[in-house]
Parts: sequence; structure tokens; C-alpha cells
Amino acid sequence: MPYPTAPADIFGLWVAWLLMLMIYSYPLYKENPAFRFAEHTYIGLMLAIMLVRTSITTTINMVAPPLMKGRVDYIIPIILGFMMYFLLSARYRWISRYPIAVLVGAGFGLGMRGVLIPNILKQVISTITPPATGAGAVDWWNYIYIAIGTICAVMYFILTWEHKGAMGYATRLGRWIIMIGLGAYFGNTVLFRMAMLSGRAQFFLQVLKIAPM
Amino acid sequence: MSEEELTFWEKLARIDRRVFYWILFIGLMIPFIRPIVFPIAISPSTRDLYEGIKEMVEPGDVVVMNIAFGVSAWPECMPAFCACTKLLIKEGAKIIFWGAYYDVDMTYQEVLRRCEDYFKDLKYGEDYVYLGYYPYQEAAVAQLAASIRSIFKTDNYGTPLDEIPMMKNVDKATDIKLVLSGDTGDVCDYYIRQWRIPYGTPVAEIGIAMLGSSYMPFYKSGVLFGMSVGVRGGAELEKLIGEPGEATIRMGAINISHILVVIAVILANIGYFASRRK
Repeated sequence: MPYPTAPADIFGLWVAWLLMLMIYSYPLYKENPAFRFAEHTYIGLMLAIMLVRTSITTTINMVAPPLMKGRVDYIIPIILGFMMYFLLSARYRWISRYPIAVLVGAGFGLGMRGVLIPNILKQVISTITPPATGAGAVDWWNYIYIAIGTICAVMYFILTWEHKGAMGYATRLGRWIIMIGLGAYFGNTVLFRMAMLSGRAQFFLQVLKIAPM
Repeated sequence: MSEEELTFWEKLARIDRRVFYWILFIGLMIPFIRPIVFPIAISPSTRDLYEGIKEMVEPGDVVVMNIAFGVSAWPECMPAFCACTKLLIKEGAKIIFWGAYYDVDMTYQEVLRRCEDYFKDLKYGEDYVYLGYYPYQEAAVAQLAASIRSIFKTDNYGTPLDEIPMMKNVDKATDIKLVLSGDTGDVCDYYIRQWRIPYGTPVAEIGIAMLGSSYMPFYKSGVLFGMSVGVRGGAELEKLIGEPGEATIRMGAINISHILVVIAVILANIGYFASRRK
């Protein structure tokens, strides 16, 4: 994309650049009014976009057309939705528990529908299935490591037996496996944050025309 | 203890974190001024994603590209998402774009912009369509699998779905060849639970690096047919489709940042152990 030429686009670009610097003034310098201004602007804008987007999508696109066609059953979720606002009143908060109960029930039911096969059955099958014929040493190492790691990590959470003797060795290994897993997870988190930061570093240079747009 | 009494290593361990942030921020800029390209090896999950698309998609098949990442995750997800879009177009797929994020319109426009050479010969409504934003997460994803028209009566620009040529016989999960979900959260879980398991629709993940370890068990067990992890996955896909681009350059920045992080961790640990020994 070439560097924008329309005044409004250039203005937008520089506003974004300044707001980004205001936000980064917190880690690179210290908390200051510019950071707070940018932070509050961001939160306000995001909330406004979220509110408008959701309410328009819900009421105009999803609820209004069926209601206009005489589908009166659509009134039930609308009433349930309004009941949620009783959360704001200490006296009538109990009314909001009904829509919350419906939400929790529906969410649980929907989630359970597809949880057993991918999250439990497939994982167990994948853990106990040995590598195919012709697999290399690395595949066998992975297979054994995952099998032993899974068993030991699960054993770590058996709390009805004291972790002593053979059980103690297994649970200690399980704890190490969990720590390695969390380390890998944290490493991926760092990678993600760095990619985000690199995006901002690139934008910083693009606005100054040091890097191509 | 006064500053003069501290040893060199203790001083090193007490460097203000802001110094490190400055070094990091400046270090990350270098590859964008002077690209540093490192060799990129293709990981099995990315290769399976690439080969899965090539093997499964026939010309005319309808594919869903789910946009579940916001503008802030463009550096991570966009290169892989665009590489997959280009690959799908090369394979002759018809693409439905929709999304679960408020700013999905901006992301969709950016995909069109970055892949404009590919979209210029395609016709909106016949080769690709944009249905817009859907709220309510898993409930909506489940409903989309049963009937797309129950969530989207029209496309994002108000045209009824029945008047869009490529949507004429498309309404449920079984009409869709595969789903590629660009994610920063757990939206791919919903597609696994509501599309992959009940209807058998193949699903692949184009996620941020953080999701790599979360979704690896699903890939290893065959629930996901492929997976692209963060900007690295993007760089690998760019290599596979033969168009090195943003992710390839960004990997230089990522490598520099990781070297800096590793050096900082080593120095801080040396300082810590040196002060303990004292």
C-alpha cells in the first residue's frame, strides 16, 4: 500500500502514531497524563464500537426481521436480555439469575456436545497409539515422552494418596513435565507479544516513511 | 546497600527495565529498515495445513475463512491468513468470509488489500462473499453449522443470501468443504465442537503463537488437519506458496527480540546467583 495522500488519511495515520507513542510512554518512561488520555480514549472507543456493533447486529439483523414476520417467540430472549439489567439493582438482583441460569445451561449443553470426542477420546487414542511402521527415533522418543509425561502429570493430581515412594518419584516427574509444558506455553506467549511489538515498531517507521508502507 | 558497594553482576541484575524496553523497541526496528532473512524450516503442522488445502479443495468448493482476530493481532495472524487465502484462490475455491470480532470489517478490507492481485480477477458474490460479524460466540457457531441463513439473512452489504450466486446451495456445515479459523482466542474450539465433530467438516487453525501449545494436542490427534502457529507459521506458508513477504521479514525482528530476551535472562540469572553467593 502506498503512503496515503488524502489529508484525512494522513491525519488518521498521525493520530494513530501519536496515540501509540502515548501508550508506549508508560513502559518506556513512566505513568503520565498522556498515557492515561490514550488509555481512556481506547477503552471508550472500544466500548462504543462493541455496544453499537452488538446491538445493531442483534436487534436489527437478528431479532427485528422474525418479529416483524410474527415470530412472537423471539420476545422470550428479549425479555431474558432485559432481565439481565437487574444486576445493577441490589434489591432486584435475583431476577438477573434466571437469564444467567439459561445462559449457563445453554452454554454447558452446547459445549458438552462436542467435548468428549476431541478433548478426551481422541487425546487418549493419540497418546496410546504407537508411531506407524517406518517411524524414526524422534517419533518413538515423542511417543514415549508423551505417554510417560501424560501418566505422571495426571498422577500429580491424585491427591487421595500420599506422594511417597514410587508414587513420589512419578509425581515429581509429573511436576517437572507440567513445568516444562508451562515453560513452552510462556515461551509462545513471549513470541506472540514480540510479534505484536514488532508490528508497532514497523508502524512507527512506516509513518515516518523510514520503512515501506 | 549503596550503589558503590554492588558488584558488577549485581548492578547488571538491577538495570532499570526501561533500558531493556528501549533496546528491545529499537532492536525490533532494525529488520524493517534493513531486512535480515534467516532460513526457515517448515514445521509438520504448517506443511499439513498447506498440503491439506491442496489435496482437499477442488475448484468450485466453498470454504469458510473465519476471522476471529482483531486489528491488534494483524502482525501475528495476517500473513498466514493471507497466504491461505491466496492458496485457496489458486486452488479455485469459493470463499465465505465472516468474523467474530467487532473490527472484522477492517480485517476483511485488509485481506482484500494485501491479496489484491488475487482478488482483481474474482467476482464478488460468485467467487467470494463477505457476510460480516456474528456475535454470541459458540451459540452462533453452532447455529451457523445448522443454517447459515439463521444468523446471516443478508451479506454485509444487505444483499439477501439467496440472491448471491455462490450462496444458492450453501446453508449448512455439510455444504462447506473446510473451515480455516484465524484466532487469538478459543473460537477454533467452537468450530471443533460444533462443525468438526457433529458434521465432520475439516477444520484448521491459523493462530497466534500463544495458541500453539493449546491446539497442538488437537492437531496431533487429527482433530485439526493443520495448524499455523503465529508469525512463524506465516513465514512458513509464505515460503510454501513461493511468495516471501511480511512474515519473512518479521521473523528477523522476532529473532532479534528473542536473542535479546535470552541475553537478558542469562545476565539476570548470573546477577542473581552472584548476589546469592555473596
